[in-house]
Amino acid sequence: MRTARLLRASALALAAVLALAAGMTLAGGTDAPLLLPPPDAQDGLPGMGQDLYLEACASCHGADGGGTDLGPSLIGLGAASVDFQLSTGRMPFANQLGAQAQRKPPAFSQEQIDALVEYVVSLSGDQAAGPPIPSVTVSPSLLSRGHAVFAGNCAPCHGATANGGAVGGGALAPPLDRTTPVQTVEAMLTGPGQMPVFQLPQEDLDAVATYVGYLQEAPDPGGFSIGGIGPVPEGFVAWVVGMGLLLLIVYLIGRRWDSPGAPS
Amino acid sequence: MILRWVDERLGMASWARSGLRKIFPDHWSFLLGEVALFCLVVLVLTGVFLALFYVPDAIPVVYDGPYAPLVGQQVSRAYASVMELSFEVKAGLVMRQVHHWAALVFVAAIVLHVMRVFFTGAYRRPREINWLVGIGLLLLALAMGITGYSLPDDLLSGTGLRVIYSVVIGIPLIGPYLAFLVFGGEFPTETIISRLFVFHVMLLPALLIGGVLVHLAILWRQKHTQFRVAGATEHNVVGRPFWPSQVFKSTGLMLLTAAVLALMGGLIQINPVWSYGPFDATQVSAPAQPDWYVGWLDGALRLFPPIEFTLLGVTIPSVFIPGVLIPGIAFAVMTLWPFIEPRVSGDRAEHHVLDRPYDNALRASVGVAGLLAFVVLTVAGGNDVVALVFNVPVELMTDVLRIAFFAVPVLGFLLTWRICRELQRRADTTDARQPAVLRRTASGGFEEAGDGH
Amino acid sequence: MGFTRSTVVTPERGIAALLLASMVASVGLLLLYVFGPSSAPLEGALLAVALGGVGGAIVVWAVSLMHAPPEVEERHELASPAAEREATPAAADVESMTRRRFLVRLLGGAGALLAAALALPAFSLGPQPGRELFETGWRRGVRVVGTSGEPIRPEDLVERSVQTVFPDGEVGRADSQTMLIRLRPEDLQLPAGRETWTPQGCVGYSKVCTHAGCPVGLYRSEDQVLICPCHQSTFDVTRGAIPVFGPAARPLPQLPLEVDGQGYLVAAGAFSAPVGPSFWNLTLDAPAEDAG
Repeated sequence: MRTARLLRASALALAAVLALAAGMTLAGGTDAPLLLPPPDAQDGLPGMGQDLYLEACASCHGADGGGTDLGPSLIGLGAASVDFQLSTGRMPFANQLGAQAQRKPPAFSQEQIDALVEYVVSLSGDQAAGPPIPSVTVSPSLLSRGHAVFAGNCAPCHGATANGGAVGGGALAPPLDRTTPVQTVEAMLTGPGQMPVFQLPQEDLDAVATYVGYLQEAPDPGGFSIGGIGPVPEGFVAWVVGMGLLLLIVYLIGRRWDSPGAPS
Repeated sequence: MILRWVDERLGMASWARSGLRKIFPDHWSFLLGEVALFCLVVLVLTGVFLALFYVPDAIPVVYDGPYAPLVGQQVSRAYASVMELSFEVKAGLVMRQVHHWAALVFVAAIVLHVMRVFFTGAYRRPREINWLVGIGLLLLALAMGITGYSLPDDLLSGTGLRVIYSVVIGIPLIGPYLAFLVFGGEFPTETIISRLFVFHVMLLPALLIGGVLVHLAILWRQKHTQFRVAGATEHNVVGRPFWPSQVFKSTGLMLLTAAVLALMGGLIQINPVWSYGPFDATQVSAPAQPDWYVGWLDGALRLFPPIEFTLLGVTIPSVFIPGVLIPGIAFAVMTLWPFIEPRVSGDRAEHHVLDRPYDNALRASVGVAGLLAFVVLTVAGGNDVVALVFNVPVELMTDVLRIAFFAVPVLGFLLTWRICRELQRRADTTDARQPAVLRRTASGGFEEAGDGH
Repeated sequence: MGFTRSTVVTPERGIAALLLASMVASVGLLLLYVFGPSSAPLEGALLAVALGGVGGAIVVWAVSLMHAPPEVEERHELASPAAEREATPAAADVESMTRRRFLVRLLGGAGALLAAALALPAFSLGPQPGRELFETGWRRGVRVVGTSGEPIRPEDLVERSVQTVFPDGEVGRADSQTMLIRLRPEDLQLPAGRETWTPQGCVGYSKVCTHAGCPVGLYRSEDQVLICPCHQSTFDVTRGAIPVFGPAARPLPQLPLEVDGQGYLVAAGAFSAPVGPSFWNLTLDAPAEDAG
C-alpha cells in the first residue's frame, strides 16, 4: 500500500517536471498589446480639443489651464509632457488625490489626444513651452549604447531589468514593460512626477528607447524570471520551493516506514 | 574477491563489521544535516566545472559575445568569462544556476539543521565541541556564499563588495588599514576579484570540507542522539544499522537533493548577470540586495538609526554597530550557548536523549526570540522590494520594522514561554509501551532486550 | 485515487519504472547535448529526472524491500579510564616541562615572535591608507565634465535635470563621482559660507553615500532629495544634502562650483568633507584635501 502511494507520488512528480520543462521551452510568445484599442474616435472637428479639455481637464486644471487646488497649472508645458500624460492614461487622473498617477489604458483616441495636446500647448501662448513630442528612431545598432545609458541613468530607480522600484516618499518608479519608444523619451525629457529630467543627446535618447523595447521582449534563457528583481525573490524561492521540496523528501524518507504492525 | 584483496592488505573487515552495523536512530529531522552535506557535494561538483571556465581577472576587455546589449562595451575578463559560460558553453548556464541555487539551499539546510540541534538540546554535554565545529561550518558557508556572490563582477555583486568594504573601513582604529590590506587599496581595486577567487575555491573549501569531516568523525565517535522513543535510554542507541537501509536512504537522499537542485537550476532563472551589466563603481541598480543569508546584516544596516559619534577622539561610523558589533554579539552568544545554558540551568550532566522542544522553556524562548529578530532583519533587508510589491512607502516599512525588531522577539519570547509551560503541564508522563528490540552486546552479538531502563 | 487498490503496483515494478525513467532521461540528456540546442530548462529537467529516478528507486527499495528490525546499541563511556589517562606519555612530559618554567616561557616568547615574523608578508597585500581617503580628483579650477568627457555650461542644464559628472580627464573615477543638479536658486537654503558654490542654481554633491558607499543615484525631483538604493538614506539637496531619512549620519559632501572664463562649470575647490563612508580618523567637519 505505502509503496504504491510513494510510487504514485513519484510518478506524479515526474510527470509534473516534464510538463513544466515542456511548457518552459514552448512558451515563446509574450502577450504584447501595448495599448488598448482607443474608443470610437469623433470626427476631427475644429474645437474638439477645447471641448474635450473643458469636459475632462478643466475641473482640476482650470478653464484657462492656470491650475486649481485640485491640479497644477499647465502653462508652460510642452507637447511632450501633455502627450505622455494622456497617452499613458495617467491623465485624466483617477486616483486618490495626492497619490501618484498610474498607467492605465488611455481615455481618448489618438486623434483626441492630438487635439488635446494642441489645445493645451496653445494655452501657454507665447510663454516658453517645454519640449515638443520627440521623434524617436529605434535601431538595433543602438542596443549596446542603450544598455550603457540605461545603466547609468535609469537603472537606479527603475531597476536593471526595468521592473520598477520603490524610491521612497511613497513613490514608485513604475515598471517599463508597456511604455512605447516615444513615451520613454517623453518621460526622459519632461520628468513626470518625481522623475528628474534627463537631458541627453538625441542618440542617447533613441538608444534608451531601443533598450527599453529590447527588455520588454527579452528572453529569459535560464527559465522563469521570478520577477527579475534579484536576491529577494530568489531567497524566497530557495526556501519555499527548494527547501519545501527537500523537506517533503526528507520527511518521506525519514518517517518510520515499518512501525510495528505494518504489513511487510 | 576485491574485498578480500583489500582486506589482506588493510585489514578492514573487522572495522567494517562494526562500522556497517552502527545504529542510526529513525527521525526525519536527523536528515537535515545530510541535505546540507549533499548540497555541498553538488556545490563542489558544479563549482569545479565553473572554475574551469571562470577567469579571475579584473583586466578590462571589450565584450563581443552573443548577448547583443553588451557588445562593444568594456567589461572585466571575469564578467566576460561568466557571460561566455552562460551563453556560449553548452550546459554552462544550467551548471551556473544549479551552483547558485545549491548555495542558497545549502545555507537554508544548515539553518534548519542548527535549529533542530538547538531546540532539542543536542549540543549539551558531551557534544559542545561539535556545536563549535558546526558554528564554524556555518560561518565558512556564509563566507563561501559572500565570496562566490562577488565573483561574477556584475553590477549587483560589485555593489555588495562596496558595502562590505565600507563596513570594514568603519572598524575603529584598524578599519582603513584592514580594508586596504584585504582589497589592495581604496575601493574599487582590480586585485579583489582574484583574491576572492583564491578564497572561494581554495582556502575556504579546504577548511569547509575539513571541518565537515571533523564534524562527522565526532558524530561517529560520540554516536547519535535520539528522541525519547520506546526503549531509548541515556546508555543506548535505538535505531537501524548503517548497512543496508541507512546507506540506501542516504544515497537516495543525495540523488534526490541533486535532482531538486537540478530542477531549480534548469527551470528558475537566478542571478541574470547579463541584465545587471558589468560592474561600474559609479553605477547602481535598485533594488540592491545580497543573497538571503546576508539579508539580515543588510537589514540591520537599513534599520539602524543615523548615529555617528566620537569616542575619545575616535569617530565611530554609523555602520560599525549594526555591521560589526551586533552580528558579532549574536554569533558570540550562539557559539557560547552550550556553555551559557548550564550556568543558568545548573544541568551539567551528559545527555544523549533529546529534549522535546518545549521541555526547556528558557532555551525555546531564547531560540524563538533570536529567530524572530533574524526574520525581522531579513525582511528589513528587502524593505524596498516589500514596499514595491505591496505599494507602501519605504519609510513606513522602516519605521514599522524598527519597532518590530524589539517588539516581535519580546512577544515571541513571552508567548513561547507560556506555550512551553502549558505543554509541560499537559505532557503525558506515562511511559510508552516497549516493543521487543534487539540489544547489541559489547562483544558484538545480539540479544533480545527486556526492559530498556 | 484513480487506481484500484489491487493494481499491480509492486515495489519491484515501481523501482523498475523509476530506473527506466532515469535511463530514458539520461539518454535524452545525451541526445540533447549532441544534437539539440543549449536549453537550461530542458537540461535541468532531464537531469532532475535522471537523478531523481535513481534516487527515488533506491529510497523505495530501502523502505519497502529491506526490513531491518530496530536494534539497540550500547553506548560506551566516552572519557578514557583514569589509569589510561595517567599512563599517557604526554601527561608525564608536561609535568617535567612545567618544572623548567624559564625555558617554557622562553619557548612561548620565541613562538609568538616567530608567528609575528611569519605573518609579516601579509602586509604586502595592500598599501597604507595614507591620505588617500581624504583626497579626490577635485581641486580648484578643474573642469566639470559629463560621462562622455564633455564640459558643461550651467545654461545647458534645465531645471530638475540630474547627471553624473567627473573631474576633467578622470571620467569614471569612483571617489570623484558627483551628482550635478540644477535647482531654482530661490529653493536653496545652503549652510552659511556656501552662497557662492552654486552658479545659476547648479549644485554638486558627492555621489558616494556617506553610509556604506553606494552610488547615490536616485533623485526624486519633486521632493528634491537624493536617495541611496542600498539602504535608503535620503539627502535634501536644497539644504546641503543633510540626511533626512535612513541610516546615513553625515551630509553628502558638497562640491563648490563656479564658472570659468569660457562659461564652463569648474570646481572652486575640493569637496566640503571627505567622501564616502566614515572611518575612525575622519573628523566630522573637516574639508576634504586637494589631490596632490
